[in-house]
Amino acid sequence: MAWTFLWLSLLCVGGGVGVIPEMQRQVVLNHQWVTAREFVDGYTLAQLTPGPNMLIAAFVGYRAHGVPGALLATVAMFLPTSVVTVVVADRWQRWRGHRWAAAVERALAPVGMGLMAAGVYTLAESALHDTLTTALALIAALALAVRWGPPMLVVIVAGLAGWLLGA
Amino acid sequence: MQLTRVFTWTGILSIGGGRAAFFYEALVVRRRWLRTEEFVQDYTLAQLLPGPNVSNLAITLGHRLRGFPGAGWALLAVIVPGLAALLVLATIYFGRGLAPATVSLMHGMSAAVVGLLLVTSIRLMRPVLVNARAVVIAVGTFAAVGPLRLNTALVLLASAALSVWLHRPGPRA
Repeated sequence: MAWTFLWLSLLCVGGGVGVIPEMQRQVVLNHQWVTAREFVDGYTLAQLTPGPNMLIAAFVGYRAHGVPGALLATVAMFLPTSVVTVVVADRWQRWRGHRWAAAVERALAPVGMGLMAAGVYTLAESALHDTLTTALALIAALALAVRWGPPMLVVIVAGLAGWLLGA
Repeated sequence: MQLTRVFTWTGILSIGGGRAAFFYEALVVRRRWLRTEEFVQDYTLAQLLPGPNVSNLAITLGHRLRGFPGAGWALLAVIVPGLAALLVLATIYFGRGLAPATVSLMHGMSAAVVGLLLVTSIRLMRPVLVNARAVVIAVGTFAAVGPLRLNTALVLLASAALSVWLHRPGPRA
């Protein structure tokens, strides 16, 4: 199981959403740790709890082997790639003065922005399924744009509105 | 440690996906610990390296602000509270299931998160999309990964290579 999640973590390039189909294939079909229904529900829960959505690994690990399974899956998912990231981030600070490094940095920023926009698009596709949710999203955007309050407050108010209006 | 406190708090508050938006708000807009350009650099690096984005983002930001210890604490700060919450929810879920009211609440919250992400994306893009080639690369990447649903890793490879070529430094003066 540790190997499966390590492999999946390496596929998490540019947003976790891209890895979901492969993860589903591995944990539902190949290993049968969870059912398809449990997997979807687990992803929703992971999205709505604090922390990375990839904590879905802990949910699956818990189902398969209890708390030790959850911890093992989490470590496999986060530790190896985290080490790679911190090492690259550290090297990068040193190379920054080099003219190719500066060029690469300028070159990659628009790629990152395109990915971010694609992430918003994918999330919008699954989260905005009717007029009510679309309206809530637009009102939330407006509230943040005019600095009406902290983002968390906006999200809570929208949650309550969704609950009252039966989203 | 102030850094750990801010990262933990932001990690806990950033529910519903799109956590980069919350970090941007907390670190750049509210506290001014770094500039938008620096945030964009760290965010891009976090996306391009393998591994979940949010943990990678916490690591790159933590490293920039406080070096290796900062990266370590930032990582723990975003993972541990969520892990604890998810374990509790998993126990409840596999025990007796979720109420429909909870689902409505979740739907409203995730809709709001899409709105927040939209605003943050626009704020982040302003200093990046300053010329035609940057706009073309960003729009192309978006279209390929978003609406067209092409393989993310392949698109990244192609668009990163193309973009580096377009931004290559000129001959030495």
